[in-house]
Amino acid sequence: MLQRSREPNTRLWAALAAPGVGWLLLFFLAPLYVVLAIVFGRVDPLFRTAVPVWNPLEWNPAQFSYVLSRIAPGDVYFPAVLRTVVYVGAASILCLSIAFPVAYYVSRLADKRKGLLIALLIAPFWISYMMRMLAWVNLLQNDGLVNRILNFGGFLDVQVDWLTGQPLVVVLGLAYGYVPYMILPLYAGLDRLSQPMLEASRDLGANRVSSFLRVTLPLCRPTILAAVLLTCLPMLGDYFTNDLLSASPKTAMVGNLINDSVQAPGQTGQAGAFVMLVLLATVLPMFYYVRVTLRGDEVRT
Amino acid sequence: MTVPYGAGQSRRQFLQRAAILAATVPTMGAFLAACSKEGPTSSGPTLTIAKPDSPVKWDIPADNPAIADGMAPEKGATLKIYNYADYLSPQAIKAFEDEHGCTVEVSTFNDGDEAITKLRSGVDFDIYNANYTEMSRLVTGGLLRPLNHSYIPNISNVWPTFTNPWYDQGWQFTVPYTIYTTGMGWRTDQVPADIGALKNPYESLWDPAYKDKTAILDDFHSAMALVLLKQGITDVNTSSADDLKMVGEQLTALVQATSPKVTITMYSDLPAGQIGLSQMWSGDIINAQSYLPEGVGTEILRYWFPTDGKGLVDNDMLVTLKGGKNPVLAHLFLNHMLDPDVAKENFSAIGYQPPQNTITADSLVEEEFIPENLRSAIVKPEYFDAGYRILELDADNDAAWHNVWNAFNAGGS
Repeated sequence: MLQRSREPNTRLWAALAAPGVGWLLLFFLAPLYVVLAIVFGRVDPLFRTAVPVWNPLEWNPAQFSYVLSRIAPGDVYFPAVLRTVVYVGAASILCLSIAFPVAYYVSRLADKRKGLLIALLIAPFWISYMMRMLAWVNLLQNDGLVNRILNFGGFLDVQVDWLTGQPLVVVLGLAYGYVPYMILPLYAGLDRLSQPMLEASRDLGANRVSSFLRVTLPLCRPTILAAVLLTCLPMLGDYFTNDLLSASPKTAMVGNLINDSVQAPGQTGQAGAFVMLVLLATVLPMFYYVRVTLRGDEVRT
Repeated sequence: MTVPYGAGQSRRQFLQRAAILAATVPTMGAFLAACSKEGPTSSGPTLTIAKPDSPVKWDIPADNPAIADGMAPEKGATLKIYNYADYLSPQAIKAFEDEHGCTVEVSTFNDGDEAITKLRSGVDFDIYNANYTEMSRLVTGGLLRPLNHSYIPNISNVWPTFTNPWYDQGWQFTVPYTIYTTGMGWRTDQVPADIGALKNPYESLWDPAYKDKTAILDDFHSAMALVLLKQGITDVNTSSADDLKMVGEQLTALVQATSPKVTITMYSDLPAGQIGLSQMWSGDIINAQSYLPEGVGTEILRYWFPTDGKGLVDNDMLVTLKGGKNPVLAHLFLNHMLDPDVAKENFSAIGYQPPQNTITADSLVEEEFIPENLRSAIVKPEYFDAGYRILELDADNDAAWHNVWNAFNAGGS
């Protein structure tokens, strides 16, 4: 199948790819170049706004190297970088452990109620991310529902300051916010799992557990990767979850660093430098993903 | 200020940035004096910084004259105002629309840079809400239209200091809008100590007893100025590397001691109980009254600002823009906002006080406009003689300040 798909009428394929390529050029590569031109650009002396420099020969690396020289262990930006990795990692694991069983249940087990469940899974998208986070602010504030429940109606005197720089709250907020984005791709992948393959494994004597571990899991590895990437990437640049649920420097992530420098006059270039670094850090797993999915295709054929 | 999340960010950013690239202005003497105080000159563009002790009278370019006297207001026009969110009373707008048969359209911005970038792009807003820290950029960049005073008789209602302000001598471009101080706010149920009676009230933010209960303004200049004032340094625009290093260390100590929230939403977070003690703008503590949950009285709110006025004082102003299509209506709107009744109604809607002669601390408390326990949040004219002002920093110094601030915000060392 792979071989066949590579050969036929190349002109047709080029025509079909054109809109996608055009889209990428216009909305990915061109903006990326703008970011580069700003990172390595100048600052308007009067208004202190970023002035892009389009000619790479005139690029000035000062802003980029400023950031680069401050993200190594022991430097000022390192804690935020480390925090980002830890928070996003923890939130992703949490998301996966919630999303996988749900997606598995919906795709494999929920026969008649499937339609309803899928509708319910899409429901969170009807409410904006911001609204859902603001709802948590309400629940978690000092006289909010969570503290009131912990107080058992006044029997206990529990006053947890949830919203002032608690890493756990930020991680839970991220997981809560992004879990719907993980369930849907997982569901799509699990739903497409080859039923005959699973039946074959059972026929050949595998029990439920080993059939799950040796057939289902390997088959949906690309799906899991895709789902994790889909949620990880936006989480890496997320700043408003943090701003709403913590707003403390103790929980600052790379997204917050970007937001802070964008708003500082003359430092838009530093923000761009952070953006480039996040991009680099995410492109690598992306390549791995592409490799894994290609291999997945080969396995299937 | 009743701004939704993020909106006030703009404001604070506005407050901070300012000053003046104005090598062309006839203030070379003041400029040189300012420079000599600033130490070694920077490699960036030379900035003239208008200061209370070195006022600036701007040049009015020949190609940008004020409008003629006695013109009729534009008919059926749409007056476009560019402002912070919720920083203008809807009732004041409605009254103006009814009086002049026009439509008023308010666009909002979230961030000072955003606003100036947009203004430069040639939009046709008529009126802009500016801060004196932007004056040089606005004037030098040719964005403002000079005022014709004959349309604005209500200027006589404002405090005399604002009819000839140091940032715009002869009020050629600006009329004052709001005034405020930056002090400390707290609620007595969470913070029993009388913060205002402490020897150094700013220091209370470093008191571990209030861990996870505090906040500072998410405004680099106001927050770092608090550190300077706490340490007894009154040059809140310092360019001393040692001072800035000290501020950085103090901010690190602050995170360790009380882990403050860095935000501009204290006007709602404090009444909600998330914050017990906070650096605050006076307008925000007044505003906080309306955010208290049911059953909680305003008597728990407190505000401290040095009684001798030796703290941070600030003001915003209204300007008309060169690109506006309705200059006459714009003048009339400025005059409208300076009307004592309109100004007072606007005050009650946005929480920020106008510098009106008829509004005094005593009258506000007497009329129960402001409770006795928040009397300290009322801005007095003498504060503007004694207080310290946040000015625009020159490019290099601004970058140095921001680097300290960004490092603090990154939660690093």
